[in-house]
Amino acid sequence: MDNNAKVTLRAFLTQTLEAHGDRKGFADTDSLFVSGRLDSLSMMTLIVHLEEAFGIDFAQVDFDVDLIDSVNDIASFVDDRLAR
Amino acid sequence: MSQDPAAAVQQTSTAAPIERQALRTLFAIDENARVLAFAQTFTGRLVLVALFAAVLAIVKDAAWPQVLMITGAAAACAYLPKYRAPILFGATVALLIGKPTFWFVTKNISDVMRQEQITRLSERTATFAALLVFFLCAWGTLEFARRRNASFLARKPVVALLCAVTLMLALACSPLLHGISRVALWSLLIVFTSYLWFLAYALVDQRSRDRSPHLFQLGVFHPFWGSTSTPFGKGAAFLRKMQAKNPQELAVTQLKALKLLVWSWLLLQLETLLVGLMEGRLHLPRIALVQAAFFEHHPYPLFIGWASLVWATGAAALSLAIWGHQIVALARLAGFRLPRNTWRPLESRTLVDFWNRYYYYFKELLVQFFFLPTFLRMFRNHPRLRVFFATFMAAGVGNAVYHFIRDIGLAASMGLWGAIESYTSYLFYCTVLATGIAISQARANAGFKPSPKLIGRVWSFFCVWAFVVCLHVFGDESRAHGLGERLSFMASLFGVNEWTTTPR
Repeated sequence: MDNNAKVTLRAFLTQTLEAHGDRKGFADTDSLFVSGRLDSLSMMTLIVHLEEAFGIDFAQVDFDVDLIDSVNDIASFVDDRLAR
Repeated sequence: MSQDPAAAVQQTSTAAPIERQALRTLFAIDENARVLAFAQTFTGRLVLVALFAAVLAIVKDAAWPQVLMITGAAAACAYLPKYRAPILFGATVALLIGKPTFWFVTKNISDVMRQEQITRLSERTATFAALLVFFLCAWGTLEFARRRNASFLARKPVVALLCAVTLMLALACSPLLHGISRVALWSLLIVFTSYLWFLAYALVDQRSRDRSPHLFQLGVFHPFWGSTSTPFGKGAAFLRKMQAKNPQELAVTQLKALKLLVWSWLLLQLETLLVGLMEGRLHLPRIALVQAAFFEHHPYPLFIGWASLVWATGAAALSLAIWGHQIVALARLAGFRLPRNTWRPLESRTLVDFWNRYYYYFKELLVQFFFLPTFLRMFRNHPRLRVFFATFMAAGVGNAVYHFIRDIGLAASMGLWGAIESYTSYLFYCTVLATGIAISQARANAGFKPSPKLIGRVWSFFCVWAFVVCLHVFGDESRAHGLGERLSFMASLFGVNEWTTTPR
């Protein structure tokens, strides 16, 4: 995932967290879903965002929340899917 | 001495936040550096665990040996992380054996034994045998899924488990089995279904690279900290991620555990007070009594019906929060940083928000096993339909499947058709709830946000809770009344379809 895409992703996640009243900020390694900062509704919007931005077909993914739990997890996941 | 009114207003308005901050600091013991340091010492840990045990004994009104056993197990789990798996498994099994009755199975098994006139076998023996067989099968199933991770069982664990339940149910309800073989199958089916979702979480974890050992997986099947058919703390995978990583984190988690338990005790006092007020002083009849009176053609006045319904809904929410907090508090004492099961449901602004706050672990179960599989695969080119359908599959279909399986023993006592027929009211409940949540979800996705103004908050509160209160008529899980009866009761609350009988 290039820098621009990462910036866009961070902006998306910041906006989603703010919608939950969470303005604490987050590092690229911070857990977002497992820690409970974001809920399943946000997971759904993130999945749609990744489908639209990177053309990922989640029907082909053996999905687990760990795959998209932090910015770094998402970046690795996207890189892995795009490399296939 | 005169005072500038503007300054007075300002003084008052700044004083309130300062007071609130002071109050918050007082209760935020898990953020206080000195308390945190003390909670990491040997004496501090002893004090913390002793305090927790004392509050637990009061809250649960349980015997001291049981309280000491549970608290001791939780403390051992937290302070001896190397031995966490055997401690967890040992404590869970010890509690299972030590319990005088297995609340989740014995009654149903004794019903089947009575039907088959089996007297030479006690229900306790039948339950133990079924539990032993189940645990051996579960171990074997986990091993199979681990070794063959491309098998159907490993790839689609929930579908495989539901197929197994359906086959066993069909056989148990068929005329092929009689006597001891029927008792054996029903015993196994009842035990199996009470552990179904625990096994599902464990099977999903078998595909992870860092999966937990089988002993840990089985140790969290109806763990010693408590659960319903819904696993509190989900499965081993979630617990692994949520365990405290260092002494500081453990101290914070355990202090939060103590706070949550005290909060549960306070809610229990509130419940006692409200029961005394509503049922003692105001003589408000319980909703079951109001319904019974309606069906006997001697209905209570409308305002009594509504008051009773609102009270029943509120009491159910309060009760859920009380025992949910106790379970989560115990898991936190064991070192798992679990989120609360119920989180300020009165602050829900929308239905989907309410669904997130009311019963977290049940919602998570439905999301993991019904929502996500549907959402990731179905209607990908139709965004609105995709969300609506996935939500409906979780809150409607998943909810109905979960409750039918949870009460599967009723198929033995009422017969399969009787169990299905008496379930129509709950099916209706699931359909309406799922539609409501799906619409709320779709509105949220479309960018709808409730007004942040006071009037907007009041309106949101009213809309969400009016929906929940009305639905409570159908969501009552007893099979006492059918859909038609409950619909006519609901209509009567709106002054429609009243029988021409003299009100009380």
